[in-house]
Parts: sequence; structure tokens; C-alpha cells
Amino acid sequence: MVETFTPAVCGSRRRQWLALTGFALGAVGASALVGAALGAVGAALGTQLSLVAAGLALVAAAREAGLLSFPLPQLRRQVPERWRFELPLPVWSVGYGAGLGAGFLTFQPVATFWVACAAAVALANPLAAASCFAAFGAGRALMTAWPRKGHDHATSAVEGLVRRRRLLLVANVTVLLVCAALLAAPSAGVASAQGIGSGLDPSARGTVLGRAQRDSGTRRVLVEPANTSPVVVQGAWSPSVDGHLLAYVDSGGIKVIDWSTGAPVAQVDGAVSRPALDWPRLAFVRTDASYKHLILANFSNPGAPTERQITKVVARNDLGRPSLASGRIAWHKVMGSGSRIYLQVLATGNRKIVARSKVAVLANPSLSSTRIVWVKQFSRTCGLFTRRLDSTHVRRLYRTTKKTRLLWTTALTGRTAYVTRWSQQTGASTLVRVNF
Amino acid sequence: MGGAVLALTGGAAVAAAVRPEKSEAFHFCGHIWTTGSCPNPLGMPRIDKHGYPLRPGDGRPIDNLGRRVNAQGYPVDASGTRLHGPDGQPLPRAPRTRLCEEWVKERYGHTSHTQGSWYRCCNNQIRKLADCCSKSSKRINGDASLVGYCWNGNRVFCVQYYDTGLSC
Repeated sequence: MVETFTPAVCGSRRRQWLALTGFALGAVGASALVGAALGAVGAALGTQLSLVAAGLALVAAAREAGLLSFPLPQLRRQVPERWRFELPLPVWSVGYGAGLGAGFLTFQPVATFWVACAAAVALANPLAAASCFAAFGAGRALMTAWPRKGHDHATSAVEGLVRRRRLLLVANVTVLLVCAALLAAPSAGVASAQGIGSGLDPSARGTVLGRAQRDSGTRRVLVEPANTSPVVVQGAWSPSVDGHLLAYVDSGGIKVIDWSTGAPVAQVDGAVSRPALDWPRLAFVRTDASYKHLILANFSNPGAPTERQITKVVARNDLGRPSLASGRIAWHKVMGSGSRIYLQVLATGNRKIVARSKVAVLANPSLSSTRIVWVKQFSRTCGLFTRRLDSTHVRRLYRTTKKTRLLWTTALTGRTAYVTRWSQQTGASTLVRVNF
Repeated sequence: MGGAVLALTGGAAVAAAVRPEKSEAFHFCGHIWTTGSCPNPLGMPRIDKHGYPLRPGDGRPIDNLGRRVNAQGYPVDASGTRLHGPDGQPLPRAPRTRLCEEWVKERYGHTSHTQGSWYRCCNNQIRKLADCCSKSSKRINGDASLVGYCWNGNRVFCVQYYDTGLSC
């Protein structure tokens, strides 16, 4: 390629550098665009594909190691020769760079490029994918400049590289295996989402998961401890688990029981709902004709529990399912003028707004000892977001893009979040577990 | 491929000649400039006389999630029955806020106001097109903003419209 820029006895050093610069710009720009497009596709799909990409990397490594044999998708084309004669140097050099930088418009001697494409889709982040692919373009540009650097003759430099082909192929296989391992391993920076069956209103504490289910008008709560059969409570909904204790709503109000034995522990009667349990504390929403009240009850003295109001809203607004953990309480308010996620330290009463919006619906926060998650809903997308309690950096864990995939209530334990995903059309709901 | 090369190296005029871009202008009746729509729930910036979002097809009030709402602001279906969530309970209200004054400020950080308007006959009724104006030097579609019908040092950021229902 470098001899294309300055054929023998034709052109100058200035011409060569001009062409190399144009080529590099075209290559880096085109490859970054391809990366961004692939990252955008991944983001639009909203599904975790890192394991698929890891599988492709393994298959590619097997091919490059000679264990498998199959053709690669490719366009067996070279850069258009006639451009050199018909277009100005800056134009055709950029064009050559863009054509080769895009990657898929020319020969594919190895499968690595296609694995990189799959990884970019799995990354689901246009900016990050663009940055990674820009390196591919830079590599293309480097290969046009390198043969002239420190070598008497470009051809001999390329021939020297070809002699090392075996070493390069071994390195390529190694890189593909490393990529497969990185894509398959759970990463601190990547959230993986998995559907875990029908249900809604998840609640999680440690290894115990609670969920509600609705089926033909009947309602029940499932408590699912790890490695043990689930416990079913019929006629119950809106669960909140805390170790061996379960709070739920039934036709009489809120009950707190030991789910392993069924023994009653406490109850709150009346127009109450949305319990959150962190024993001996129980938070819930009490509704009267004018207001919805967020109440925190303390059962330290079971015979004489105390209650205090955390906040209230007028009845037509929404006061969401609270979350209690590690001495804090979180809740949402959704009004016609906007929505907010609140967090309050119980011991001090210090309250702050974690997130606010006049456009989106922010709802259904869940707390752990170190983090908070919540749902953010627009007209076309829903997202599950998180931040550390000691940080303001917000990160999106999961995203859906259709009215058949809306997000609802959440739960959080450690680095595992649960969210209800449901369809407006059918009302059916499933739980999604997001590890991050 | 040739068009793409020219777009990278040539001027905007050359690139436009080779590969016409999807136009943000002329995208609804009466709008004959190049300013893009204000952000909105359903793709078209139809508003009521106070600037709140309406469903483009039939002018029904909608919330920020694009759901038709009743007079109390609760989401309803076509028959006016309240929509229900996955728990079988009626869905609560969602925010319903003005496209110019609230949406633009939250999405783009500008303090904006509905200023200036002009009128066109669309579908046999008078349509009022209103500029959403701010101090931004760029319009919502990225190109330089114009004063248009804005005042007080403001410039056009995006456009929205209100169908009056008056015959023309």
C-alpha cells in the first residue's frame, strides 16, 4: 500500500506523508464507525450476548489452530485501482483507508475480525466499541507506514513479516482464547440478565428470594431459599423477605410470619399495602380517603409496636413500595409534575433525593447495605439503574425497549438485582435476575 | 462507497449532493423550516394550548409515557377504562409535563420558553406552530439557531404545534 502512495521515481516525501495521513484518518474513522454501529446494535437488542461472543471466539480459535475448517464471510476485493488515477490524492487515500478500515470490504485471512464484531455487539456500548475498533483502523494504518520505517525496501519488510506468519498465527489463536475467557467470565463492568420464571414484586435477602404470582385471579407468594423447595403462601401478594421472616399482604392487611414454620409473628390490619421488612422494622403504605402515608413500624416490643410517618402524598399521586435495609429506607413519589427517588437514614432522619425527573417515571427503588437500584421509564424504553450509596455515579444495568417489556418492581441483594418485566398487552410478568 | 468518501473529505454541500440526509424539516404540515421537533412521547410534538403533550393522531391528552389519560391523569384504554398493572391494580399516574418548558430543560439543560408562533391551514383547520426558544446557539438538530419569532435574546431551539380546530 505504501508504494501505492509513492510509486518508484514518482512523488515526494510530502506526498507520501499526505497520503499516509489521509489513509490513517479514513481507516480509523471508518473502523470507529463500524464499532459504534455494532455497539448500538447491541444496545438496541438489550440482551446479554457475551456468552455467544465467547463461543464464537472459541470456534474461531479452533479454526485458526487448524482444528476446524470452514470458510469465512468476506468480500474478495481490493481497493479500486482506478481511484488513484481519477481522484485527488487526499480523496483516494482517505477512501482506501476507509475501505480497509471498515474491515468487511476486503479479504479476511483470519476469523479475528468477526469475533471482534461479535464482541462489539456484546459490549452494547457504542462509544466503547468505537474506541476498540478505532484501534483496528490504527493497526491498518500502521501497516502502511511500517514497511518504510527502518527498511531499505518495503517489499523486503513485508516478506520478513510473512516469514513470521506461523508465529503470528499462534499469537492470534492465543488472543482468541483470551478473548473467549474474558467474554465468558462474569465481569465487574458488565451486567448479565436472565429470566427466572413468572412472577412479580421480587424481594431478596441473602440467598432467599420471594416473589408473587397471579394465575387466573388467584394470588400467592413463593419463598425460594437456595437449594430447598419453595414455600407457598396462598392468597398472599406483595412479599418482603428478611431471613426466615416474610411480610405479605392479604385481604386483612399485612402479615409477618416465619415462612419456614408458618408461625405468625406480627400483623397490621386495615388499608395497608406494600410492606418492606427489616425486622424488627416494617415499612408500609397506609391509604385513606385523602392521602397515602408511608409508615415505619417498630416491633422491638411486639406487644406495643410503635409507628411513625415518614412521608405522605395526596391520594391521586403514587407513593411507591418502600425498601428497608441497613438502617435506611427508600421510596418513590410519582406525581403529575415529575417523579423522585428518596433515601432516608432512619437514625438521623437525613433525607436526600437520589434521582429526580420531570419527564421520566422513576420508581420502585430497592436498597442493599451499599447500593440502591430503581426503574426509569420513558415512552419507548425502560431501564434498571444503580448507584452506590456513597457515590453519585449512576449506571444502567438493564434496558428494555418495547411495550411488551416494561419494568416494574425491584429487589437487590449484594450484586444481584431482580426486576419485574411485564407486558402492557397481556399483563403477564416474569422476573429477571441481573448480576453485575 | 464513492459518496461516502466524498462525505468524509469534501464539504457539506458535496456530501449532501452524493448522499441526501434524512431531513428533520418539513416533517409535519405547516412546518417549512429546518428546525427539529421538540422532544415528545410519541414522535410528533403536538401540544394543547398550555404546552402539554397530546396524541398526534387524535389530539387526546397523553402522559409522558405516551399513554392516553383521563381528566384525572390516570392512564386509560380506548374505552376510557383505567389500565392495570401486572398486580391487577389500576396503574398510577405518570408525569405529564410541558414539552418546551420541562422536557427541553431536562434533556438539554436549557431554560426554554414557548415564544412566537405562526399559523397554517392544515387538514382544514388552523394549526398554530410555536417555537420553543432558549439561549442556545444550536437548534435541537445540531445546526445553528436563528432568532425566528423568539424574543428577549432567545433563539429557536425546537418546534411544536397546536391544532385549534378552527376551520380554514
